[in-house]
Amino acid sequence: MSYKCSRCKRDVELDEYGGVRCPYCGHRVLLKERSRDIKEVNVN
Amino acid sequence: MSDQYDVTFIEQDERSAKFLVRGITPAFANGIRRAMIADVPTLSVDTVRVIENSSVMFDEQIALRLGLIPLTTPDDYRPEETVTLAIDVEGPATAYSGDLVSSDAKVQPAEEHVPIIDLKEGQRLELEADAELGYGKDHAKHQGGVAVGYRHLQRVELGDERGEFAEDDPEIIRGVIEDAGASETSRAAGDGGELVETASFDNDLGNRYPDRNVSVEDVPNAFVFDVETDGSMSVDDLVLSAVESLRTRADELEDAVQL
Amino acid sequence: MDLRVIENLETELSIEVQGEDHTFMNVLKGALLEVDGVTTATYDMNPEQSGGQTDPVVTLKTDGSIDPLDALEAGAAGVKTKADAFAESFESAA
Repeated sequence: MSYKCSRCKRDVELDEYGGVRCPYCGHRVLLKERSRDIKEVNVN
Repeated sequence: MSDQYDVTFIEQDERSAKFLVRGITPAFANGIRRAMIADVPTLSVDTVRVIENSSVMFDEQIALRLGLIPLTTPDDYRPEETVTLAIDVEGPATAYSGDLVSSDAKVQPAEEHVPIIDLKEGQRLELEADAELGYGKDHAKHQGGVAVGYRHLQRVELGDERGEFAEDDPEIIRGVIEDAGASETSRAAGDGGELVETASFDNDLGNRYPDRNVSVEDVPNAFVFDVETDGSMSVDDLVLSAVESLRTRADELEDAVQL
Repeated sequence: MDLRVIENLETELSIEVQGEDHTFMNVLKGALLEVDGVTTATYDMNPEQSGGQTDPVVTLKTDGSIDPLDALEAGAAGVKTKADAFAESFESAA
């Protein structure tokens, strides 16, 4: 899962041990980035 | 039986037209009108593959807007064929329908200046859209005819001179009139008379004949069609395809009955 | 176009026309009434929400001089004639 730290704007990879925290600046608010997959949408 | 109908054009443009048809039954007139709206297929975006959308709107909202952009529809398209349109716009800019790049030169947005979305600095819209043929009865985005309707042709006969102190109430009528009073010769001959759009005298017969009494009557089986397309095809193609769709169904029914 | 005969008598015919709507049925009804020997022609269609018969059912009666099925065929042919005549008049005027 890739997130972005809301304070230092750096990309953050979370693992299951570190908890929710930015390893660079210690900020606890992380934003989830949109997946880079191509999304298919139907028009209706 | 080619003299059964008498068609006269009153206004004629690529995308809109007004024409009078004489000798047509209300049932058939309404069939043609309904077929123009619901039964003439047009191309429209049906599936969207979003590569990047960092705009303020959801992918689904963008997809709906793409669906509503009219696309020119060549008449040789089959229901299962698709056309791919791609768009890639980076902010700050507005993404317009004209930014769509089509895989088929004959299929283009009918209008270049339909705004899709306003993109701010750093926002980007990149996607591919597949357009398919579809029917107006299934989704409004497939309606080729927008603003399609008809009115009775109205015949105006001149009566006597109006009294000097008569109330000059407006006599509002809309559509097209067959003006029997326009010329004495046509009046005497008892034929149609001049076709006049009511808009030319501000829809008020009182302006045209300030001091005459007039009588207005619907002409039986004469209808003035007002047809406007969304640009996916010309008015002629729309009308003829609508009639063709009725004909096809009649043909199918005939075959089915014969079996 | 699939048809389902509901009733087929000497002078009366009821037939379900699957997949059609008012657009075609009313034109057909109009054309049926112009067929010689047809005394009555109508169709009935119910909305989706009615939960019952939603495909249109065309019913016609004749005075006995024509078989109802032939009359239906003549009605369909009548629609084709109208369509051809209209297309021709329209094309020559356009």
